[in-house]
Amino acid sequence: MKDEKDINIEKDELTGDELIKGHDYDGIKELNNSLPKWWLWLFYITIIFAVVYLIRYEVMKTGDSQEEEYAKEMAIANMKLKSKRSSSLDETNVTRLTDKKSLEEGKKIYDKLCLVCHLSKGEGLVGPNLTDEYWIHGGSIGDIFKIIKVGNPSKGMISWKDQLTPKKIQQVSSFIMSLQGTNPPNAKAKEGKLYKPEN
Amino acid sequence: MQIEKFYYDNKIVKYFAYATIFWGLIGMLVGLLAALQLVWPSLSFDFAMTTFGRIRPVHTNAVIFAFVGNGIFMGVYYSLQRLSKARMYSDLLSYIHFWGWQFIIVLAAITLLLGYTTSKEYAELEWPIDILITIIWVVFGWNMFGTIIKRRTGHIYVAIWFYIATFVTVAVLHIVNSFEVPVSFWKSYSLYAGVQDALVQWWYGHNAVAFFLTTPYLGLMYYFLPKAANRPIYSYKLSIIHFWALIFIYIWAGPHHLLYTALPDWIQALGVTFSVMLIAPSWGGMLNGLLTLRGAWDKVREEPVLKFLVVAVTAYGLSTFEGPMMSLKSVNALTHFTDWTIAHVHIGALGWNGFLTFGILYWLIPKMFNIKLHSKKLANVHFWLGTLGILVYAIPLYWGAVTQTLMWKEFTPEGFLKYPNFLETVTQIIPMYHARIFGGVLYLVGVVLMIYNIAKTVKVGNFVADEATEAAAREVVSPKRMKGEGWHRWLERKPIQFMLLSMVAILIGGIIEIVPTYLIKSNIPTIASVKPYTPLELQGRDIYIREGCYTCHSQMIRPFRSETERYGEYSKAGEFVYDHPFLWGSKRTGPDLAREGVQTERNYKPDSWHYNHMLKPQSVSPNSIMPAYPWLIKNKLDISRTKKKIEVMQYLGVPYPEGYGDIANEDLKKQAEKIAANLKAGGIETTSDKEIIALIAYLQRLGTDIYNK
Ligand code: HEC
Ligand code: HEC
Repeated sequence: MKDEKDINIEKDELTGDELIKGHDYDGIKELNNSLPKWWLWLFYITIIFAVVYLIRYEVMKTGDSQEEEYAKEMAIANMKLKSKRSSSLDETNVTRLTDKKSLEEGKKIYDKLCLVCHLSKGEGLVGPNLTDEYWIHGGSIGDIFKIIKVGNPSKGMISWKDQLTPKKIQQVSSFIMSLQGTNPPNAKAKEGKLYKPEN
Repeated sequence: MQIEKFYYDNKIVKYFAYATIFWGLIGMLVGLLAALQLVWPSLSFDFAMTTFGRIRPVHTNAVIFAFVGNGIFMGVYYSLQRLSKARMYSDLLSYIHFWGWQFIIVLAAITLLLGYTTSKEYAELEWPIDILITIIWVVFGWNMFGTIIKRRTGHIYVAIWFYIATFVTVAVLHIVNSFEVPVSFWKSYSLYAGVQDALVQWWYGHNAVAFFLTTPYLGLMYYFLPKAANRPIYSYKLSIIHFWALIFIYIWAGPHHLLYTALPDWIQALGVTFSVMLIAPSWGGMLNGLLTLRGAWDKVREEPVLKFLVVAVTAYGLSTFEGPMMSLKSVNALTHFTDWTIAHVHIGALGWNGFLTFGILYWLIPKMFNIKLHSKKLANVHFWLGTLGILVYAIPLYWGAVTQTLMWKEFTPEGFLKYPNFLETVTQIIPMYHARIFGGVLYLVGVVLMIYNIAKTVKVGNFVADEATEAAAREVVSPKRMKGEGWHRWLERKPIQFMLLSMVAILIGGIIEIVPTYLIKSNIPTIASVKPYTPLELQGRDIYIREGCYTCHSQMIRPFRSETERYGEYSKAGEFVYDHPFLWGSKRTGPDLAREGVQTERNYKPDSWHYNHMLKPQSVSPNSIMPAYPWLIKNKLDISRTKKKIEVMQYLGVPYPEGYGDIANEDLKKQAEKIAANLKAGGIETTSDKEIIALIAYLQRLGTDIYNK
């Protein structure tokens, strides 16, 4: 019996697997192998994943939506940062720094963020010349600190308080003050009012 | 049984083969230029036709539709005739198909370079070309079905199942995504707006990958791999299961291109889950390919054709695992908008499509020319150069992508962005862009070797244009299922039913995802302060589209702290209701522009900054890789079509007051004067009739509406 059956079944020489009768397409034959088990399991697992995912997020809504995720992320960040960002340093009590290290830090910030509008020597392009004695918003350390902190967005100077700590604003303000009277070539014409330091 | 004599048409196969090689070379060269421009922006030559924004669509279209497209037709025309034991249904249709397709490619290249584009990725071509494509695609389908119907064989083989699915699905995708209303011969606006447009576009875009780059090539694999290895297919059962699972599931996965965007959550969830379910069906194809080689691995070591095929199938397996992983929202949050995506598609394009094509060419050309390949050794060198090229291309880009995405997301302990200046995160990964160029060059050198090798082979070969053969006529059997015949076996001798069933399989997913966004209002909550663009802004937007700014800039802020800190409030679905087409972009080579115009957000720039930046980006952003657009400063804005544009928008449901088209240009001029005055105050002398004015108007409008409550 068994032998008879075997004769009827055509086998692939190299692997010994059963060939399917009548399947011959331009010489291409097909084997009668079943689906690999692990492959089938992989398929089932992904389907289970999909069902669980859809139920969790779209039916039961026990998973966070992207808006909820965002709200949580912001709440955590705000909590952590409240303590760190609150600093007593502001435009009313800021002092000019003159030590070399602070000025170097200030220059670094300036080159990275401010140079695009005020140019590398402070000569001004989109933003005004920062090397002369004329200031739109005043030339004291407090004035400069304040305009950098709050900006004047409608004229193209954004507020930097969300990118720079008060300490850093102090450093870059001090650096800007150190540019006074440097007279770089091609400087922009004066804007604003003449500022004379008191005393 | 009567034996019939007939001839296979090899000439048409040869034509398509040569076209494949030719367009492959062109497509890759253009890609190389684009890669070079990302390191040296001056290679845009300050010339509109050669800027990145126009070059990139030429590259993607050339590789997908010209290289792979001709590759598909080459393989289908060869294998279909042999699997059907019949000559192609009509020689005339064959040659209309061939020349029509080449004509479309040439038209595409020219119009894209001229800036005629819809901006929808891989569907950039304007409406007259869309119509041409439809006609030629129908010619192809007609010819294919004609051949299948008059076949001498009883059943259709799995390769043909894939060809059929390809034909119907591409037809449906192309037509649905191309609905647009013409403004002029080379300009149209998408029928869909905003979120809907994005959904339809990526339903199309994803399935262009699925049904143009994948299913037809799986069909080719099912023919050429067992032929070249002379081995039987590993499992017929696997063929059936993975074929139907693949085409049914694939069509749902499009929304994974839009994760964390303003697309409704439930559609995103479908995109995620169906992408994950795609792993097994895709791997079914890889397994059936690789396991077919059992017992023939010693041949693989010797035969370059098989080497190419094996690496192709392996690359397919890799990218179809990577794709679903990138569809998990947490992974996507990191990889989206970065070069990770670029690396991913090149594993697919260079590995799967490129190597499969090369393998087929090395097998096919000697066969049709009745001669051995000129040099096996050279083919081996090509193989190694290509493999190395893919690795040197992809690995640095993966590395760069991870570096950049981490930089985008890094905060200082004080809670500020560590790298507030976007450009810093670009210059950081420029070395990776250098490496990518090198990888591309290696791959290209391999292709040049192949061309030389094939030219040498062809020169001494003896081409048989009409290959004589014979086969028995098809047995006449009952159309009904016979005793003991499985239903699928029955289906395999009913090609029309087969086509209809595959159409049903692919329509389900599309309909369930797309139709509800029309029917359910709550899917896209409206925002009262969102208003249509002014005529000047609309014109500026069209310039943004023409120059391909969206190839480098996204307009979609995702709800992450790292993005709202960098760009401002995250994007809402209701903000895009008048955006025909949507311009969310898919890659951030430059920063997101969704809130560029909002004065209180950090990216705001005055008009004069934009003017200087567009004239020469490096003058205000040293080391920027953005190309210069000096012609926008010189060109006069064409306002002759403002009226028509407004009217088309009205037709599409954008609420301009009635008759507004007639006075639109007056408003346009007033707004232009204001901007010119602003520029003057900033020290820039120009007149208000220039293109740059319109572009600035558009940029300054971006994202502002929801702040005007
Ligand atoms: C996008 C361009 C731009 C950038 C970047 C920029 N500024 Fe300004 N800045 C301006 C403009 C424009 C003004 C003038 C605002 C006005 O007219 O009120 C200005 C004004 C100023 C002033 C006041 C000058 C005066 O005359 O009162 C200071 C100080 C200043 N900026 C410092 C900075 C610093 C520090 C940075 C970097 C952290 C910076 N700016 C970055 C454009 C810019
Ligand atoms: C090759 C990629 C590329 C293309 C194409 C491109 N850009 Fe850019 N773009 C950049 C990069 C990189 C930056 C960041 C550096 C800089 O400011 O130049 C940028 C910056 C910008 C900015 C400043 C954004 C900000 O908030 O700092 C604007 C505005 C802009 N691009 C507009 C455009 C427009 C409009 C077009 C089309 C006419 C365009 N870009 C085409 C790469 C590109």
